[in-house]
Amino acid sequence: MITGPAPGSYQGHYAGSVSRFVAYVIDLVVSTGVFSLALAGISYGVHVVTGHSVSWNRSTPVVFVLFVLWEFVYFGYSWAVSGRTFGMAALGICVVGADGSVAEPRRGVVRALVFPLSFLLCGLGFLGILVQREHRALHDLLAGTAVVYAWDARAARLRFLARQAQLTEVPEITGTPPG
Amino acid sequence: MVNPRDRLRSVGRRMTDPAEVLAQQVTERVLDLVLSALDVNELAARVDINAMLGRVDVNTVLSKVDLNVFLDRVDLNAFLARVDVNALLTRVDIKPLLDRVDVNDVVGQIDMDALVQRTDLGAVIARSSGGMGTEALDAVRSQAVGLDQFVDRWVQRLLRRKHPAPPAPSALLPAQAEP
Repeated sequence: MITGPAPGSYQGHYAGSVSRFVAYVIDLVVSTGVFSLALAGISYGVHVVTGHSVSWNRSTPVVFVLFVLWEFVYFGYSWAVSGRTFGMAALGICVVGADGSVAEPRRGVVRALVFPLSFLLCGLGFLGILVQREHRALHDLLAGTAVVYAWDARAARLRFLARQAQLTEVPEITGTPPG
Repeated sequence: MVNPRDRLRSVGRRMTDPAEVLAQQVTERVLDLVLSALDVNELAARVDINAMLGRVDVNTVLSKVDLNVFLDRVDLNAFLARVDVNALLTRVDIKPLLDRVDVNDVVGQIDMDALVQRTDLGAVIARSSGGMGTEALDAVRSQAVGLDQFVDRWVQRLLRRKHPAPPAPSALLPAQAEP
């Protein structure tokens, strides 16, 4: 659950373009990696059972359709269940309703369905992240969602200070004193 | 020569001494008989205690009492040992007391940075923060947020926007302080 920003924190603020782009790249790498592993697993299983080797060509329509379906499941399920994908969790951002309330699962599914539109319009759909006042892309506007920081920079600073305090702590001298 | 008056005195003493003893014995006997015949309860019932106390000046009595001496003689520890504090506390309604305390104000006055640096709380946070992984994640997120703001500033300049955009969705904006 996202709460209002604490002093010195950006928690709850609209997430910027860099965080969202890095999160998407991570998601793309992870989802593609998992998909490739799944294909490799299926090939190995078929080879063990039938003795025939199966090679997957990504340009074939079947693999392409499977990949698109998998991407939809990966993003749609993540947004519907928790409002964030693996990459978004790593970057500390989260999908919420346009007013900041918790996004319903329905919005997560709709967001995943209309997400390709931002690509199909020559990437213009993503321009909203840069120029729109609320940093909302086309798929955000269609699904009624926004992306905010779910990361507490204030807590990070406290962790940093705690580590610094531990590092600068004078080690206690043990043993019997001389003389 | 014997004084005739001394003789007379000696004779008189011989007569009066037994008479005095006899009179004392008779008096004691009479008193015993009277007291045994007296109903003390009935006598006390006839006495008007209120009227009697009404004639007593309590302030004058109290002014003569040295309370310090009295308190010095009281064993407060023994007295408190007989008090059931748990039973006493169960009769105290803490809620109205706590309702009058502004906890947010109290917490707001705490210097969290100093608290983390100078107390064991810092060690607890450092131990629970997950070490290198969390540190790296904090660093990546911090960099991303910094770049987000950098890009956003340039976009605002290029678009020549005069009014700043809302930092967060309405539901996640901090509540305005009441005057």
